[in-house]
Amino acid sequence: MFLINCPFCGEREQSEFKAGGEAHIVRPKQPTELSDDQWAEYLFMRKNIKGIQFERWNHIHGCRKWFNMVRDTSNDEIKAVYKMGEKPPVK
Amino acid sequence: MLNYSNVIQNDKSYPGLQMREIKPVMKLIIRGKKRQFLSAVGKSLNLLLPNEANTSSRSDQLTALWLSPDEWMIFSNEILKTDDNNYNVEKLLNRNICKTNLGAVTDVTDQFVLINLKGDKIFDLFETGSPFNFNDFKSKKGLVTQTILTKIDIIVHNQDINDVNLFVRRSFSDHLFSWMNDSASRL
Ligand SMILES: [Zn+2]
Repeated sequence: MFLINCPFCGEREQSEFKAGGEAHIVRPKQPTELSDDQWAEYLFMRKNIKGIQFERWNHIHGCRKWFNMVRDTSNDEIKAVYKMGEKPPVK
Repeated sequence: MLNYSNVIQNDKSYPGLQMREIKPVMKLIIRGKKRQFLSAVGKSLNLLLPNEANTSSRSDQLTALWLSPDEWMIFSNEILKTDDNNYNVEKLLNRNICKTNLGAVTDVTDQFVLINLKGDKIFDLFETGSPFNFNDFKSKKGLVTQTILTKIDIIVHNQDINDVNLFVRRSFSDHLFSWMNDSASRL
């Protein structure tokens, strides 16, 4: 069990949240000009880092808002949470 | 409302805890972001929507609960007549919010069941099945939270000290109420 600081509601227990995969993936501007391999790369391929990872989370049993999180996947330490559209506060 | 059937049949009472369904009560979900939306709602209802997270506001007739930065629930403080399901508040908001493209209004009167709890054992009951930390919550009148109770989504409104409103989706309400009774009998 760990606590997540929802940028809207404050600190809540992890079971109120749902992980939404890797953050900051940019949709290609001209999908029609991509090869199938490039499109598959965008659509399916995700990082699976041991260490600092940038993720999207949803406060699904609370305000139902999406937000971003910087998390160390090796020890579940949350480095930062920030709203959608904001720049990551740490590198 | 015209064919209104109860989900929760009987009021229940335990040492330090009374639980009953309150109905019929008008419930609306309103959504919007713009400043004009907030002021239009305020003028229409004579009630300022709470801006601060996890809080509520109240007028003589209505209570507004903060659910998210762009979502509120509005419910009537008084019990309504059962021969009619047209609400002036909804009509007014439809005219001033929906027609002007400022936001959305959804009638959730029959979607949510309102269970009122009274007594000093309310939060002892919640703590048997919710991950939410009620320590600060229980002593502050007017606070609101959405959380889970025995894995069911609920909205909790701390109406007054030892007086709490709980909103649950109708399809979950029968199960939740029987779980609450089971849990309350073991407190
Ligand atoms: Zn939240």
